[in-house]
Amino acid sequence: MRRAALLAAAVTTYVVAAWMVAPGFYDGFGPPQPYNWTCAPSQAGANIKPSSGHLDIKVVGGVSDANSAFTGDGQVVIGFLPGAFDATGKTTISVDITPLPTCPKPSGIRFVTNVYQITATAPLRMPANLLLRYSNLEPAPTDISLASDPAGPWKSIGAQQQSQPFTIVTQTSSFGYFSAGYSSASSPSGSVTVGGGQVLPIVVAAVIVLVVLAGVPLAMLRRRRSAQPEDAETHEDEA
Amino acid sequence: MSLVQARAHPTVRAAFVGAYVLCIEWARASIQAQPHLAIAALILGGAALALVALGSPAERLGLGTSKFGLRIVGGLALGAVLLLPAAVRSGAAPLLPAGLAVAAVAVSIGEELAFRGALYAALDELGGAPLAIVGSTLLWTAAHAFSHPPAFLGAVAAAGLLLAIWRWACRDLVAPIIGHVIADLAL
Repeated sequence: MRRAALLAAAVTTYVVAAWMVAPGFYDGFGPPQPYNWTCAPSQAGANIKPSSGHLDIKVVGGVSDANSAFTGDGQVVIGFLPGAFDATGKTTISVDITPLPTCPKPSGIRFVTNVYQITATAPLRMPANLLLRYSNLEPAPTDISLASDPAGPWKSIGAQQQSQPFTIVTQTSSFGYFSAGYSSASSPSGSVTVGGGQVLPIVVAAVIVLVVLAGVPLAMLRRRRSAQPEDAETHEDEA
Repeated sequence: MSLVQARAHPTVRAAFVGAYVLCIEWARASIQAQPHLAIAALILGGAALALVALGSPAERLGLGTSKFGLRIVGGLALGAVLLLPAAVRSGAAPLLPAGLAVAAVAVSIGEELAFRGALYAALDELGGAPLAIVGSTLLWTAAHAFSHPPAFLGAVAAAGLLLAIWRWACRDLVAPIIGHVIADLAL
């Protein structure tokens, strides 16, 4: 009885503790910090608005330095190789990353990250590496899209096969508006769908029903057995 | 014969197991942060954690086969409880990339064998159930501090406490393993 009470108390403690932080207990496979949303999904819990970023790149002898611009929250990183810019007549090149305050929903694409505008005071001469972090509250994106205007048209600029979990990486030869997503005509690839969407509550409900249906007869069977003299097996685990 | 000498003093054994699992979790979290190494770090980390239980009798770890049906039902129940807040909150839950699913299974089994298996048994031998429950929960929380933001550690500690109390109340590790795997696959 005391054990059952302690177990019930532990269940209650867990549910309360997990309720206070979205998504509750998880085992470190998620991103290192919660995603900062422009338009937070309902399950996101407390949300901080996304940060912007700024970088001044020196131009020495007509060649721009290697450097990386990133947002304050690390959700966007864009890296430039030496000489990546057409730096004719410049001594410094400024790069700005700004989260769009709105959330475009172009037809055919489902964005799972904020939309970021990346601008520079000089055009690119060599492709830049672009990394976008995404949330574990959404399906993994399949590619990054680029547009010169948030209203579109949006064009896929692909994604590299290998990247850190919850990041998507590609190369871009021009600046504009960037976001990561997947084709809304198909299911996102690379995600375990059992854990997502409306499936989870159904799975949890089914498990609870299964536990109740299976647990009651098992408990009755156990009680009936415990009324009889205990055999050696009862103490198997008490060694 | 376990990795830790069976005849070693209980204090030495508990200290060794605790230090070992903390080192493995720290190494796993550090390597996991490197590009392209996350999945390998999770799988190897899970295997290294499981290693600490190698050679220990199954009953000592809570892995007996008696009442196996109840243990499985208990595992499903623990999985449901661990997922309940996420399920109730919104009807939608985080998604685990498919590539991480195998790694998630490996690391959740490894963590259970290490924390609620070998470490719990070592602490139980040293100071009884209260020390085993509190000690394994504290080390479990400390280990997750390497990979989780501080805001999540309360939920992590509460999950560790729940699994440890189950281990004590039912003398069972099968259900915590099943529950942990279910939770990690979904979250």
